[in-house]
Amino acid sequence: MATGITSILPIHSTYLVDNPRFPFCKGCGHTSVLRRLNEALVELQVPPHRLALVTDIGCIGLADGLFKELHTIHTTHGRSTAFATGIALADSVLDGGSLKTVVLIGDGGAMIGLQHLVHAAMLNIDVTVLICNNFVYGMTGGQGSSVTPECFVTATTPYGNIVPPVDLCTILQASHAPFVARTMATDPSFPELLRQAIAFKGFSVIEVLELCTEFAVPSNELDGRKLRDIAGRNGWTLGLLTDRKDRTAFAERWNEKQKERHQGPVPHDEILRPAGKVPQLKHALSVVIAGSAGERIQSSAGLVCAAAVASGLYISQKNDNPVTQGSGFSASELWWSPEEIGFTGIQRPDIVLVTSADGLRDVQSRSIPERLGSSSAMYIDDSLPAPETGGKLHRFPFRQVFGFKEAALGALVFAVMKHHVMSREILQSVLHERYRGNVDKLFAKVDRLEETGMEVRA
Amino acid sequence: MARKAQSHLPQSIRLRSGNQMMAEGALQAGCMFFAGYPITPATGIFKTMIDLLPAKGGIALSAPDEISAIAYCIGASMRGSRSMTATSGPGWALMIESIQYALMTETPLVVSLVQRLGPSTGGATQGAQGDVLLAEFCTSGGYTLPVLCPTNASECYELTILAFTWAELLRMPVILLSDKETGMTIESVDFSSLPRSTAQNRPSNFAFRDLGTHNRTERKGTYYFDALHEIPPFAPVGGDRKVTATGSAHDKQGRLQKNSTETIDVLKHLEQKISWRRDDFVSVVSDLQPSATTLVVSYGVTARAARSAVQQARNAGERISLLVIHSLFPIPVKKLAHALQGVDTVLVAEENMSGLYRSVLERYCKGAKVRGVNKIGAMITPEEILEAVFEEPWQPA
Repeated sequence: MATGITSILPIHSTYLVDNPRFPFCKGCGHTSVLRRLNEALVELQVPPHRLALVTDIGCIGLADGLFKELHTIHTTHGRSTAFATGIALADSVLDGGSLKTVVLIGDGGAMIGLQHLVHAAMLNIDVTVLICNNFVYGMTGGQGSSVTPECFVTATTPYGNIVPPVDLCTILQASHAPFVARTMATDPSFPELLRQAIAFKGFSVIEVLELCTEFAVPSNELDGRKLRDIAGRNGWTLGLLTDRKDRTAFAERWNEKQKERHQGPVPHDEILRPAGKVPQLKHALSVVIAGSAGERIQSSAGLVCAAAVASGLYISQKNDNPVTQGSGFSASELWWSPEEIGFTGIQRPDIVLVTSADGLRDVQSRSIPERLGSSSAMYIDDSLPAPETGGKLHRFPFRQVFGFKEAALGALVFAVMKHHVMSREILQSVLHERYRGNVDKLFAKVDRLEETGMEVRA
Repeated sequence: MARKAQSHLPQSIRLRSGNQMMAEGALQAGCMFFAGYPITPATGIFKTMIDLLPAKGGIALSAPDEISAIAYCIGASMRGSRSMTATSGPGWALMIESIQYALMTETPLVVSLVQRLGPSTGGATQGAQGDVLLAEFCTSGGYTLPVLCPTNASECYELTILAFTWAELLRMPVILLSDKETGMTIESVDFSSLPRSTAQNRPSNFAFRDLGTHNRTERKGTYYFDALHEIPPFAPVGGDRKVTATGSAHDKQGRLQKNSTETIDVLKHLEQKISWRRDDFVSVVSDLQPSATTLVVSYGVTARAARSAVQQARNAGERISLLVIHSLFPIPVKKLAHALQGVDTVLVAEENMSGLYRSVLERYCKGAKVRGVNKIGAMITPEEILEAVFEEPWQPA
């Protein structure tokens, strides 16, 4: 709790409104849960504006109106823990963590929002969850829930429940919840457990077994002793189940990492300043390059686009690959243009580069070769069969000359030079800056490809 | 802001996708909290926030699903920090419950919806503009939610800042409606032309970090207003004023209440606070020609094809106007009426099957013939728009 604030606050004798009228049925466990909650807060003297009470849907969600000065957030069904997690995350990481967040949720909400409970436990944020488990949905007429015991008669199990109930505490223990307890609303151990849970710095949860006097009690001849029997039969141990001191709060771990983050390397992200006032290229040029995953198709295209920008051009780059990312084809569609680029689609590319069979299959599946007109050029690796195309087809030993990892970049640089897209100097200088491979060797290979007439005739 | 022009070429360019620019716009807007769940084609926003937000002192983290992601953001916003999440259609479907909660609890929030081809999981890597009405009409009661739709990477940045401003001023969720092409296409972005401003603050007497030292002005409840359109001052959960928030029908204090006059007034207020300001919360690009008889209306990625088509039509001697709408909702009625002057044909170009946005625009285009240019599975091309303009196959010059 924030120092300096506590000292000026008056002593809180109750957190409830004046003359509270508990909106629950006679004998309902919820009334005792809320009374015990109030008593625990009084004992701990929690500053009322440093406590957020987040309530779920269902009877227990009516608790909001009973508390005078606490912040109350009444949420949607099952999501209370998730909203509470957001509050606690922002509070602890962004504002030092002066707020305590308490969630009131029923057995229905706990199952709807089970993963919110699991994740809150994993994160270990400073939230206390009271799961008020009365085995039925009271507000809608006593239907069975996922924690309804076997043989239990409910509105939806009129002949007795035949599905075994889930053990919420075990799930949360397995989710690394550092504080887990189970008790009954009327059990003498409840107040002390509640105090401990609220005072606990981190995620704490208490499953409170309750009697729904309206529905569960009449259909099942239920009373306190029978409730204890049910717990025993299901192996639901009562009391403090987990009290781990070895878990660090999320905010603390986040802040430790934060120091590392500030010391980490800054990603290479230099501003590109166009060197020449007038770009060499006079008309927009569209390029499709396609090959295989692992050939660095998309990153090579990015390097050449960076050089295009440095030479005064506008660019757009669209990458494509199968959803599995690391297999099959990899492709990029590029525009290099002396003017701002509007529509980024490419129907008939000016240049098509294909470095592998995956790439050829990709462009063929998109009917690109046959759509090309006579002004388009298609450069493919010489290992590939010649496709039917309306464009000029050229076959070069890209893979043989540049190798698997550099075939794409080699083919791109080759095409850039051949089509006078930009000056050799700008392309070289940008590659020197951004490419980890040997740029001079790459250019020597490009020159060899061009000068020695390595084009392979079909 | 005045800048000295060095040359006719942009001077500071970075290669950026629309997704990256949305994340960077959020940082510029003062977003301090991001929770996400990966989904193509929106993952780039999530990843950029993970990479950049912690260094700004904020928190970006991975939620176990989209429902948790948006709920974390709403909780963080209630605590007082600007929050954002991003998703695509299938994740949006899961978030709708909590969007309604943010609307009802008057919680500022920015959600980026990067559209892909639907329905259901549809096509993860195929673009589409099929979520425009799913985004807008996702609330029971059909409340107006602001929807902002960028056409390129720079606008992703600018409109994200605007989305935060609107979310904060209106105390409500604002949707950034992007799409696969806008989000994932990398472009040369001129950083020297981007706005330097941050987003405006939520109307509040209570600063996030300022606990208790303030001049305590009278505040009559979490959702208090006099006139229906007034926006109640924001107080953070954990601040020195009690917050009573609820997603259930409530009075101006936030107390659960059914069907009282005050409760119904609160519901009217949720709509009034945006519809009363509909002429102020507008972002369009009007490219109008005097005596034009045809108006092309478009948005998002298709607006780029529309711009190109209109240029080509003008080159061919056609008198034609273009209205690119960023603020799809609230519908920019005045701007539309202005663009419609003298127009007898309206063409609405959008990448969906039946003309979703057209279906809501039509009622504001009385007197003009409204037609659609529609398509699914691929971007609408300038040629397809030109064919609709001339009603015959387009022969490029």
